[in-house]
Amino acid sequence: MRNDLNRRDFLKKTSAAAIASMASGAPFAGLMSSCNSKISIPATADTVILLFMAGGMAHTETFDPKKYTPFRKGMQSSEVLSTFPSVPTVLDGIHFSEGLESIGKIMDKGTLIRSYVAADLGHILHTRHQYHWHTCYEPPQSVVVPHLGSWIAKELGPLNPVIPPFINIGQRFTVGEGEELKAFHSAGFLGSEFGPFLIPDPTSGLESVRPPVGMSTKRFESRNQLYENLIKESAMGEFGSDYQKESLKRSMEQAYMLLNSPEAKAFDLTQEPKESYDRYNTGKFGLGCLLAKRLVDQGARFISVTTEYEPFFGWDTHDNGHTRLKDMKKMIDAPIAQLIKDLDESGRLERTMVIVASEFSRDMLTEGRPDLKVLDQVEVPEIIDDMKNYGMHRHFTDGCSVLMFGGGIKKGHVFGKTADERPCKTIENPIKINDLHQTVYHALGIAPDTNYIIEQRPFYTTPDGHGKAEMQLLKG
Amino acid sequence: MISEGFWLWQFLGRLHPMVVHFPIALLLFGAFLELFTIGKFQSKLRPGINLMVLAGAVSVLIAAVFGLLLATNEAVEGELLDLHRWLGIGSAIFSIGVLYLLNQVGKKKQTEKITAYRAVLFIAAFGVGLSGHFGASLTHGEDFLTETFPWNNSNSYVSGSFDLAAYESGASGLSPEKEMQLIGEVRTVLAHNCYKCHSGAKTEGELRLDEREFVFQGGESGIVISPGNPDESELFRRINLPKNHKDVMPSKGKHLSKEEIDLIGFWIEKGAPWPDGAEQKSVYRVAELAPRKPALPRLSTGLENPIDLWVNAYFEENELKWQAAVDDRTYLRRIYLDVVGLVPSPEELELFTADSNPDKRAVWLRKLFDRNDDYATHWLTFWNDALRNDYTGTGYITNGRYNITDWLYKSLQSNKSYDIFVKELLNPTDASKGFIEGIRWRGTVNASQRTEMQAAQNVGQVILGLNLKCASCHDSFISDWKLEEAYAFANIFADSTLEVSRCEKPIGKLASTRILWEELGEMDSSATRSEKLRQLSEYLVQPANGRMYRTIVNRIWKQMMGRGMVEPVDEMDNEPWSQDLLDWLASDFVENNYDLKELIFLIGTSKIYQSQSSGVKSADLLVAADYTFNGMVRRRMTAEQFSDAVSQVFSPVFEEKDLKYNPSQLLTEQSSNIHFTRASLVANNSFLTALGRPNREIVSTNRDSQASLLQALELTNGERLNTVLQKGAAQWKEKYKDGPIIVEEVYNKALLRKPSKKESEIALAALGNSPDVGQIQDFFWAVILLPEFQLIY
Repeated sequence: MRNDLNRRDFLKKTSAAAIASMASGAPFAGLMSSCNSKISIPATADTVILLFMAGGMAHTETFDPKKYTPFRKGMQSSEVLSTFPSVPTVLDGIHFSEGLESIGKIMDKGTLIRSYVAADLGHILHTRHQYHWHTCYEPPQSVVVPHLGSWIAKELGPLNPVIPPFINIGQRFTVGEGEELKAFHSAGFLGSEFGPFLIPDPTSGLESVRPPVGMSTKRFESRNQLYENLIKESAMGEFGSDYQKESLKRSMEQAYMLLNSPEAKAFDLTQEPKESYDRYNTGKFGLGCLLAKRLVDQGARFISVTTEYEPFFGWDTHDNGHTRLKDMKKMIDAPIAQLIKDLDESGRLERTMVIVASEFSRDMLTEGRPDLKVLDQVEVPEIIDDMKNYGMHRHFTDGCSVLMFGGGIKKGHVFGKTADERPCKTIENPIKINDLHQTVYHALGIAPDTNYIIEQRPFYTTPDGHGKAEMQLLKG
Repeated sequence: MISEGFWLWQFLGRLHPMVVHFPIALLLFGAFLELFTIGKFQSKLRPGINLMVLAGAVSVLIAAVFGLLLATNEAVEGELLDLHRWLGIGSAIFSIGVLYLLNQVGKKKQTEKITAYRAVLFIAAFGVGLSGHFGASLTHGEDFLTETFPWNNSNSYVSGSFDLAAYESGASGLSPEKEMQLIGEVRTVLAHNCYKCHSGAKTEGELRLDEREFVFQGGESGIVISPGNPDESELFRRINLPKNHKDVMPSKGKHLSKEEIDLIGFWIEKGAPWPDGAEQKSVYRVAELAPRKPALPRLSTGLENPIDLWVNAYFEENELKWQAAVDDRTYLRRIYLDVVGLVPSPEELELFTADSNPDKRAVWLRKLFDRNDDYATHWLTFWNDALRNDYTGTGYITNGRYNITDWLYKSLQSNKSYDIFVKELLNPTDASKGFIEGIRWRGTVNASQRTEMQAAQNVGQVILGLNLKCASCHDSFISDWKLEEAYAFANIFADSTLEVSRCEKPIGKLASTRILWEELGEMDSSATRSEKLRQLSEYLVQPANGRMYRTIVNRIWKQMMGRGMVEPVDEMDNEPWSQDLLDWLASDFVENNYDLKELIFLIGTSKIYQSQSSGVKSADLLVAADYTFNGMVRRRMTAEQFSDAVSQVFSPVFEEKDLKYNPSQLLTEQSSNIHFTRASLVANNSFLTALGRPNREIVSTNRDSQASLLQALELTNGERLNTVLQKGAAQWKEKYKDGPIIVEEVYNKALLRKPSKKESEIALAALGNSPDVGQIQDFFWAVILLPEFQLIY
């Protein structure tokens, strides 16, 4: 990590490492019998950054543009496939929608998937599809199933003992459908130790890892000292050790270690040079990407950065689709490209996988699957007179775009294809969520049959262990 | 990897396990004797040692070569093998060194050479020993040694020992009864080790081992059992392979024990008999449905409470001793936390201690029962978890979910008898319908998660201690419950007849309507839903349904004693540590009008409840099948108890505006005297979540007692707790001012005792004589994070 570690840092780190190793052998894990898979896969990635486009990102307006029809009063809605012109990318013959030029320039460093097929869960509820995207399990389930990040945290543990292995940036839970969002931001049966470390606002990331507001480091240290001295004297000592007491002491030590560690500075965006900060600063999401970069530099394991889901905001365009997407693209284009460039320059892209994905796509007319009638569709007039009706306002599951970079992913590669006429659905190499997760696990060296026995039944990383790593996405 | 090598190499490879014993014995013993020659190289032992070392070193080389052949030919891989391989090769290299140095020493006896020779010899001997250990781990399994340790037995299914000799009676073959008994044992082994992947539910490699027809039909690689010939049976070969072999079965979970392998071998040798009707016999432990009231054991001096008579009998049988009784302070704290979820005040403790009535513990416990609102508020937490009530997530958007808090609170407050309580849940009014209505998700859901099936699963789990989740998708591989039985039960909750689906695919059959046990009564399948629910509620609450009452007494026992008589508490088919106590307590509960408070009173006044608690080293020991009961198990306060205790002692954690349900709006004759907002009445929030309150999307009957980093972070720098402590500190500074007084008062209120001299010194060193708000706040913080504050002990 850094070569100029002083002795104090070194001592801190080694003891933190010792604690982390104790924590990984924590008794809770013992409650479950894990399958010791016999399959061993050499890992090509150590870290994953998931950039989530929450709310349904239309593929035809972003990474898979179709015929452009400019707005004019009295136009037929059935004419419209894309509301933006396309622009070339660094890859021959591959175009993106206008507004994504920066990402277009770095596509030689990763793979563009144009054939992701989301599950068909009937009547659309974004959070249900997001639950499915993040856990592979269709809600509801009779047990609480873990988030992708929790599986990774459980199987691989932290990369640096003082950085929590699963960090979730940018999502508040006080918005609409907050409870539904909580339902999948969970380690479920793997135990709360592997749950997400939540940073709803990247600019206040430091608050999560520093002593309480208004408390100096000196006071924080002496408070901890007082606690340690009192615990030694407490009457509970006479009862010998038990796991609740031990795990409490151990967790408190770990928390103290994190809050007091030099790595905690990584959470502080004000430490970033101004030029760099400005390059990322397109708002919360852009700064989330910057925070992700800083944490990867310090040894993070899994980070999710979201454009944030809130019903009818962000990518969830039920009106004014065209106008709003201009802003959305502005929000993501520069920071995603910058993140890939920075990781590439520091050499970390080699072992860091970055994924850009959304729970499903959108279309102007087709809701759900092309052949399925769904309830509660957004009203779309046949003749468009008003700009507010110009855009992708219905939910489409049959063809979505995903970007993947680094950590063993092929460079300058395009996978899959959608039709050029409505419905613009997947016509080549369809890939589903189970395959996508298995591909990520494969790159991380996590065996496809990893499972735990919960309530006497085996639960795998994907339902019944289904899905296969898509080897065409990975370097041979 | 070569799959079929030249036969000679394969043969020599297989000699490896035999050959390895020479170097281990020779080198280790040689090295051992070498120790005696230190100081006198040319001892009488010298020629013998030299010979031994020579033979040992040569045999290491041979063993290493054979080992490499074996690994190449037998397709074994894994980390353990790598370790074994490199240690083996390393030992071989050191052995060459030994030979060379021994030769050198023979020529010129230089001291350095002797030292070098000895060092290399010891290393080689150690390496061979260690490599041998890992080699043995490869063939016998890594836990071969450790699994014999008494504390290493956490599997709820204990692999049995089988008396094979008992079968060897008749001259020609087995009698029909013996055959039946044998196949029963064989199927038990198959069920617990193989069904997860090889049964109707899940069929890997096209092989099913759950029915005779399929077992003998074999799988994708052909026949697996050759009756009479274990050695030609693929199944027998696979279970005999070493643990890391790629073909070994079971490929997931535990390797079969030697007894189990012998049993299967014996069965195949006897012609693999599988008589008709073998499938009808259960291979799972099934608890009795009917109630049973065993006669109490003879009276014993000093024991009046029937619970204690049973515990005493158990202690005698297991040669255990009673722990000492707890003092008044510990007892009072226990009953307060268990009955009303609060810690007693120092004034209450003082009154209690001063009370000279010999029956004061029973009297005070009764007195607590009168605090109906505080009791209801505390037990609301437990029931909200179990009935997944007070949940704010999905379903509410589309009116697919109903809150029952008002009904629940009033039921607890009036101590509704448990049979009526269950009846009202199963055959509900609008106020109590939330439990069986379940969560209606938007969009299409799995057939096994339709609301009727949710009702079946949840009634099974919560009310009957039965896991139907598996059987609601396919025939269960963890019990005898069949898909159609689960559907028949779910059909009771349906408006129109359900269509049976197996793993999401309709099987073209309509569900019948049946209660899980015919003994409880026959359902009228043509009746309306409300009539079916009425029948169900009547049938289930009958005293004849001993299972339901065992389930509830076991749950209450766990709440008070830290561990159920049966664990997990939702799997009532598991064996209790005392069947007699469980049966007796359930029957007594029925005889005492299903009165939950009386049950709590009976447990709370027992000697065992008043005895010292104990801790366990890890959470899995708590649910181990061979758990030995020796009294109350210490546990962590719930999120609600902890935050109420902080509210009580320092400053309220929640305000009235946080209330989600406000019982003070109810007209009650005697409402609570508590003047802060209780945590069980507020909506879930990040503070309570971090401390373990579930979001109640699914039934939850067990709170995680283990602390985690995310929890510790919330307690260390979370805004809510620090703000609360700061507020409290400001008030205390105003009120008490002086450091020494604050120290006394904090210990008094939070821990109900005086600080020791040492504790006073430490605290005063931090606070000084006139501490500021920050110092007081930090002292509060340090005290509430003590296990003594957070545990129920």
